[in-house]
Amino acid sequence: METDINTILIPSKLCNRAGVSLAWKPCNDLGIFAYERKHSGAQDKPSQYYPTSEASVFHVRQDVILFRPILRKLINESNGTFLNLQELLARKSTNTQEEMLNFSRQYRSIIRACLESLQEDIARSKSEADKDELQNYITIFYSIECIWHLCEILFIDSTPGNVVLPHLLEWVRFHFPKYERNAAEMLCENQEELEMKPEYWPTIIGLMMQGRVRIARGLLKQHSAADTRAFLLVDQCLKAMPQFDVYSGLSASEFHLQWQHWVMDIQSKIDAKSFASHKNLELLMKIVVKDELAWSEIKKHFETWYELLPAWLFYAEPSVKSYELGTFAKYCIRQMGLENKLKHLDTVLLAAMEYDLLEVIKEIQKMSENGWFATHLANLLYHSGQLTVLEKDVDNFSAKALQEFLIVDYGTMLMGHKSLWQVGLSYLDHCSESGIHIIELLLPRVPVDNEYKAQKIIREAVKRELHHIAQFVCKVQGMKCVKRGRLGSALTWALKSQDSTLVSLLANRFLKDYAANGKLRNTDLLFNLGPTMLSSDRLIFLGKYYEFHKLYQDRQFQEAGKLLIKLLESKIIPKYFWYILLLETIPLLESEDIIFSSNDTYMIINFMEENQFDERIKDKLDVLRLATARNLSRAVLYESELN
Amino acid sequence: MTSKSTIIEPWLEEELENEDCALDGNYIYFLNADTIASSSSYGSVNVFKICYNENGEIGMKKGTVWKNIHSFENGESNLCTSITSYDQDIVSVGEDGRINLLTLSSESIVRTYDNADSCSIKCALFLKHNEILTSNLRGQLKIWDLQSRCEEPSSTFMLSGDIVAPTCLTSHPTHRHLVVAGDEEGSITIWDLRQNTYPVNMLRAHEESVMEIQFHPDYPDHLFSSSSSGEIWHWSVKPKLSADYVFDNLAGKDKNMVWFASDAFKNKLEVFTLMDKLHKPINTFDVNQARVLCGCDNEAIYLISGINLDKY
Repeated sequence: METDINTILIPSKLCNRAGVSLAWKPCNDLGIFAYERKHSGAQDKPSQYYPTSEASVFHVRQDVILFRPILRKLINESNGTFLNLQELLARKSTNTQEEMLNFSRQYRSIIRACLESLQEDIARSKSEADKDELQNYITIFYSIECIWHLCEILFIDSTPGNVVLPHLLEWVRFHFPKYERNAAEMLCENQEELEMKPEYWPTIIGLMMQGRVRIARGLLKQHSAADTRAFLLVDQCLKAMPQFDVYSGLSASEFHLQWQHWVMDIQSKIDAKSFASHKNLELLMKIVVKDELAWSEIKKHFETWYELLPAWLFYAEPSVKSYELGTFAKYCIRQMGLENKLKHLDTVLLAAMEYDLLEVIKEIQKMSENGWFATHLANLLYHSGQLTVLEKDVDNFSAKALQEFLIVDYGTMLMGHKSLWQVGLSYLDHCSESGIHIIELLLPRVPVDNEYKAQKIIREAVKRELHHIAQFVCKVQGMKCVKRGRLGSALTWALKSQDSTLVSLLANRFLKDYAANGKLRNTDLLFNLGPTMLSSDRLIFLGKYYEFHKLYQDRQFQEAGKLLIKLLESKIIPKYFWYILLLETIPLLESEDIIFSSNDTYMIINFMEENQFDERIKDKLDVLRLATARNLSRAVLYESELN
Repeated sequence: MTSKSTIIEPWLEEELENEDCALDGNYIYFLNADTIASSSSYGSVNVFKICYNENGEIGMKKGTVWKNIHSFENGESNLCTSITSYDQDIVSVGEDGRINLLTLSSESIVRTYDNADSCSIKCALFLKHNEILTSNLRGQLKIWDLQSRCEEPSSTFMLSGDIVAPTCLTSHPTHRHLVVAGDEEGSITIWDLRQNTYPVNMLRAHEESVMEIQFHPDYPDHLFSSSSSGEIWHWSVKPKLSADYVFDNLAGKDKNMVWFASDAFKNKLEVFTLMDKLHKPINTFDVNQARVLCGCDNEAIYLISGINLDKY
């Protein structure tokens, strides 16, 4: 564990006196408030701090640098690459090294793009604080790129025969580009007497260190004394330098022999003082033959040990194998006198060169970019099989668990952001079982600002077959609408949530509203309820009652009458509503055409007599009795005529 | 975002972001080449004018603001979900189920339908100068006659039997009675509103919710659609049929227009994907000439050019 503990001071006197407690808000937030601990046996009385005007809750949140707008591009773009990778893996079981390398490069190019935009921003920013902040990010992402590149060389792009030097040289050129840049500038300028420039010789030496022999020769030719014997001799020597190439068909020992010959040849020329006329040329040649004095002299050109390493290998061990790197790395660290001064980046690089992958992953988690790096790198390494190999050597280690743990952490963090929650989800999707449970917990806690977002959340839930979450969100929306007085919307959400209790509750509201005001609201909604009506008895009643109203309005009294009888017979009439139904029969009983048969009328009479002592129909009882009696007589006469 | 300007330039979005007022990107709509209307979460509609200063640099000027024209009874802030316009007239609809009729020439509201809908209204579309179409959360579509005194819609119909909310509405650039809706389930439904309110055609298109649909303004044989699964598709009428269509049109039989053709409708269309599938919803896009500009939930805006609109 890291020992540097961050102390946050809560600026509240009350907290200071009483003590604090805290509660998690989902994801990144902590709510901190004043709290006094009491024993269960303590007397129940107001606390000694009561009354107080100072009852604040303080929100403390982890500072996530990835949430800065400039870095969000990195998140979103790498998310695309991540998902493409997972899709590819899902499609086929075997994945070629080529593809993995391709993805690794995509990630790196995203980091590079991010670095570039950071650099542009730093040029534009005006305040010093901004500049410092951006510079800090550049340092972080520069290190990430540097480590990733090395890991790519060592773990993903394994060349035949473990020949690693050409890649290392490339790596070092990538990260210390100044020599190539200087050389290009000088060669383009096409000036006389290039050697007068102060950076002329350092550039040539630098190029030689990075294995750019041809460019170095090009620069030497621009020297005003390039036609002298010493220069020509140097050019000749460099031209004859044997190059190690796995594909040349030359075995390592054969190459070694060639190399020895070449070195001996140059050594003899140095001994013959062939280059003595030019100090710099002699130095150059001495470097080539690994002259210790010369090397200690040029050490000052190197910024770090890992810049020295490929240079030294280029001349000392051109056929170095990747698994030997660790030893040479330590040698270079000693040479630079850095044994006790290793910085974080150095340790990670050294661990990588020693093939200690676990150490690498452990270290990169300490970098302050909120786990972006560790998550993506571990995922890539896992899928290229590098992490699984470790399971044999390390007890209780599961590669899958490790990379999933990182993804869970990263995904959970993103879920806490208002516009990155969908990105977070797509990470959590890729960590087998735990992922879906975390989604189950976090998805309903994503803040819902409006229906648009609610629909997005519901879609994400349905996509993952978390139907109960979708229903939960619908219910919450429904209750929100109730509070806003939007019963229509509330009912729609309730229907979506398939919660029959909520639907019944709302249907009740509609009916009670009608009972109180005599006006049916939200009729546009009741029109065409369709099969959704079946989700609650109360809603069926409401829907049917509305249908009755509509028939009545359209003067289809026969149909309206039939429907009314059906409703009276049904067992779904709310207690507070039956008298309204009963009253609705009066105009139909009194209509010119006979609408209710004698049986129907008996039913109405029964219903009426059962409830005759009810206060609500007391006044209308006489009217009802009269109407039913009249209708009964009409109906009986009519029916007997028919028979 | 719907644009009618001739050239789409990426700077516009940037300018919008710089504005300090509540432009939380709910709905932005070009009324004409240099006027933009935007809706906000706080139930307001803002108008901006694009202007050029002496150096030819582009800026934006705040125009009329209709504040809080959408609100709930309990005073909670309310989303104005959509804006549509016809010439000078603007219609805004919101989650409060209200329709507001505004006009550029006046700062007051011309007309309000307070209880236009008991659900939240999701989309609005001008059909004629006096007619608008709205759709709500339940999948009901309503046509409103703005000249009629009646506060009721002149007709109401359903998207489908179930509660499926349309997510976007658009109409054919030349045949405005041809209305197309995309919905939550990824289907595209087409109506000919002259005839009746039953859909003429329905396509099972995207896997997930359709986010936006638009005809190409100049080549209406081409339709574009985007989805929440990150797809953006280009639908075009197959070459041979396209020729038929031109011929039929000359003969004055626009009934044979392919969008209305009910038999084997699908066989007459070709679908192209304009971009590799993005992994996040493509919320909006706009088409102009051979270019498509689309905005995605991965916080990026993409400009796709070189869209094949060849007339065969």
